[in-house]
Amino acid sequence: MAKSFKEMLAESGQEFEFQSGGKAPEKLIPRENIWKAHPRIEKLKEIYMDSLSSTNNEFPYWYTREYFQHDNEIPVIRRAKALKCAFSHLTPVIYPGELMTMRKGAFFRASFPMPWLSEGFYMANESSFYQEALKRGSASVDEHSKFGQGGGNVPKSFGKVISIAGKFGMRQEEVPALLELAKMWEGKSVDDLGNKYEKMVPDYDVKEAIMRTVVCMFDSGFTLPQGREVANYYYPLEYGFEGIKKIAREMKADVAGRADGDGMVGVNRLYNYEAVIIAIEGVQKWINNYAEHAKWLAGREKDAKQKKEYLDIAERLLWIEKNPPRTFIEAFQFIETIHFAILNEDAISGLSAGRIGQVLYPWFEQDIEAGRITEDEVLELCEQDRLIKTSIDCFASIGVVGGVLSGNTFNTLSVGGVDRHGKTAVNRLEYLIVKAGGTNAMPQSNIALHYDETLPDDFLALAADVIKTGCGYPAFMNNDIAEQFMMSHYGHEGMTVEEARAWAIGGCLETSPCCWKPLHLNGKEYWIPGGAGQPTSVGVHFIAQPKILELVLTNGVDKRTGIKVFEPHNKKLKTFDELFEQFKVYWDKAVEVLALTNNIQHDVWRKNNMGVFHSFTKPDCLETGHLINELGYRYNATFNVESAGNITMVNSLAALKKLVYDDKKYSLKEMLDAMLNNFGYKTADEIGKFSLMDQEISEDVKNDYKQIHFDCLNAPKYGNDDSYADNILLDWENWFCAHSETVESLYGEPMYSCQISVSTHGAMGSATLASSDGRLQGTTFADASMSAYPGTDKKGPYALMNSATIWDHSKSQNSQLNIKIHPSAIKGAEGSKKLIELVRGYMRKGGFHVQFNIVDSKVLKDAQANPMKYRDLMVRVAGFTQYWVEIGKQVQDELIARTEYEGV
Amino acid sequence: MEDKIYRNSLNFVPVDVAKGIDRNTGKIVNADDLDPNYERMPKCMHCKNFTLNKDKIGLGICKMMGKEHLAYPDMVAITCDGYEEK
Repeated sequence: MAKSFKEMLAESGQEFEFQSGGKAPEKLIPRENIWKAHPRIEKLKEIYMDSLSSTNNEFPYWYTREYFQHDNEIPVIRRAKALKCAFSHLTPVIYPGELMTMRKGAFFRASFPMPWLSEGFYMANESSFYQEALKRGSASVDEHSKFGQGGGNVPKSFGKVISIAGKFGMRQEEVPALLELAKMWEGKSVDDLGNKYEKMVPDYDVKEAIMRTVVCMFDSGFTLPQGREVANYYYPLEYGFEGIKKIAREMKADVAGRADGDGMVGVNRLYNYEAVIIAIEGVQKWINNYAEHAKWLAGREKDAKQKKEYLDIAERLLWIEKNPPRTFIEAFQFIETIHFAILNEDAISGLSAGRIGQVLYPWFEQDIEAGRITEDEVLELCEQDRLIKTSIDCFASIGVVGGVLSGNTFNTLSVGGVDRHGKTAVNRLEYLIVKAGGTNAMPQSNIALHYDETLPDDFLALAADVIKTGCGYPAFMNNDIAEQFMMSHYGHEGMTVEEARAWAIGGCLETSPCCWKPLHLNGKEYWIPGGAGQPTSVGVHFIAQPKILELVLTNGVDKRTGIKVFEPHNKKLKTFDELFEQFKVYWDKAVEVLALTNNIQHDVWRKNNMGVFHSFTKPDCLETGHLINELGYRYNATFNVESAGNITMVNSLAALKKLVYDDKKYSLKEMLDAMLNNFGYKTADEIGKFSLMDQEISEDVKNDYKQIHFDCLNAPKYGNDDSYADNILLDWENWFCAHSETVESLYGEPMYSCQISVSTHGAMGSATLASSDGRLQGTTFADASMSAYPGTDKKGPYALMNSATIWDHSKSQNSQLNIKIHPSAIKGAEGSKKLIELVRGYMRKGGFHVQFNIVDSKVLKDAQANPMKYRDLMVRVAGFTQYWVEIGKQVQDELIARTEYEGV
Repeated sequence: MEDKIYRNSLNFVPVDVAKGIDRNTGKIVNADDLDPNYERMPKCMHCKNFTLNKDKIGLGICKMMGKEHLAYPDMVAITCDGYEEK
């Protein structure tokens, strides 16, 4: 009987679900710590767990209506007026039991389309949407009360609900308006305009081919033009909205009609300040509408306690509508409001709250001292914050939301690290924030713990306890490495050592430039950190390294689709160096054409869809009068070049070097033949299954590829402290990091390398043929950028870490390492110590990031078979935690297959 | 004829496109079920400024402040300054 891939792997000495350092106990072992949130939060969480991602036309309707009223207006004013109108008309919704309120739209998990960014999807599917909307019958209670597959996703239409892009539900009543609104933006959206002008880039056809063959995942100008950055709440917290408007009016008077030496955009400052005032007025009306709604609710509420809570909410909102906050809860409500305001301005994923333990500390310290709040009440608010952030949805394209992000929105908060003097920044509030991560374990906020040698031991112990709830966070990031990166990449923009210490994680793992600002509360000054840089969601998006290697071997043609991607090199590739050089040539071409076309998309975005509200919150826009589109931010060198499939590429190169060039066991032609024939397996397309476990050997293939496959699987692999493979990684990283800095963004700044996979290892793996490391066609790459391919790291976690730290991580914005550990391996206090020692060891070697899944693989298998039993099971994918049921099967299988460490 | 269902009622807190909370009972209810304590929610369909498009399902025209613009009957008008109940 023909062997399965799993059996072949085992025969070669490797296996899926490899257990390193011992054997897992037979019985299913749950996570060690199970904590609960406050009852109020648990009740609200029940609503969340049963709610669907929902969308409507409210924001896009009012935005569009106002926008088209102002033809010929100065673009930034036109944009601001449209934003004001949209915000002013959002219907408020407050749920019973909430202490903090406001949200993106009128549902628990609300989001909305932005046809001014991209409307092509709706137009392409116009007739099918319309037919769906017409034919829906009456609602069925049974239909709506069932969870469809994937938790809160709406993968299929049901009752009177239409599925949009397999995730969002929209009422059938709204669909005709959605299509009419989309039509109004045809030819005018960032997508359409960007596409019109990017076609003028020479070699645009190469870009088209790259996108069609999934060498690259998605465009950046219209999918996520902002995000993966750190928010800055300083200005509203210090001045309040009326205070900011006053500053803007004064600055308007100072700059009106003046160039002040800047003949290009000096006079624009007048319009920019006016736009800021208009945008703030819209947000203030939005807050006011919520306050009025809270009063209305109080008026009809019979329960005395709930009535008082509605009145308190109203009072808080009316205060922060105009003024800086006075108390901790007002400050927390205010930053939530600002966060949503920014999110509603654009398609944004990865707006990280930053170091809110530092930001909110002034009010925490003073409220606790004055007896206005208790630590338990603060913990409850931190728990609600987690619920608020997890409820955030991002309405972007299906390839982005599903294929890359797995539905996550990456609202990371950072803890730990140092203050501006280099001393530990950990404060009491941060302990509560981390604790809330365990008591209310939800995918958001991701917690990024900036590891530094000055961190208190008990803080690290608490972090270990939270990890052992199985939530997958905190992830650990190396504070020193991050500061080094800040200095080397942003030094030319004025980054100082003191300012570098303010850094925080944007998105899931984007080391982002921040700054310190002096906040004043009741006569005391506190220096708080906040984001000071442009988005990092921009630049050249994920390029599949294994796919580039494949194209080297196939002389530039994608064999899966038959499309010519690159000009044929026609080289014999007689040496490994020649092969590697050709890889770099193709890589360089891909980066060049993607950078140029994405620069144009972003340029169209910044001309018509610039951030207005978001801009004024970031230094130094308010001071200079220039918004994001005019280099108003302090740090603008934030565009990146993203790679995907790093270790699959390294392993593949190692196999070619060993088998073809060193041992000369096979010719390159034989190797390519085996790969093109998928090592004798049926293709994933053929069987309709893309997961590792499901691959089937073909009975029809004439040649016997077993031996070559065995040899490929057995070739040197990264992750075993083996210099053969690891030196290839070193060579690549040195080249890739330096090469990225030679690429220029539209802002005239150098890009840098970004090495995270998010979920691209699934989606891009499905478009890549078999690779010379023995991986089969259509299956996932190794996840992250430093994780070993499942089953191939045989020598324990320290060997893996040695492999990972062969190169200087400070040369790149990030590196990413995921480790799966069986709960029994780190049981009890001793186990927690071992976990922390593992982290310390990696950080001290120079590793940038490590995160843990503490889970028994048997639990994951059971969850795959019985998803309804595991609605709240969370796992760490690659830089983010997500509900198991909302992750696609490819990535689920890859998670199950990851090596499980039984001993540490 | 007016659909006196939850999603058209002020007695309803929408959770998602299919369900929400009945304010009186605190229970989760189907958005399309009849609300025994129905209170009309301002929506374009009830507004003097709104005219239904007889040719295109689900669409209409809003003539607020004398200017015509696309509108749709199901849109919530709680925050609309131009809303005038028929």
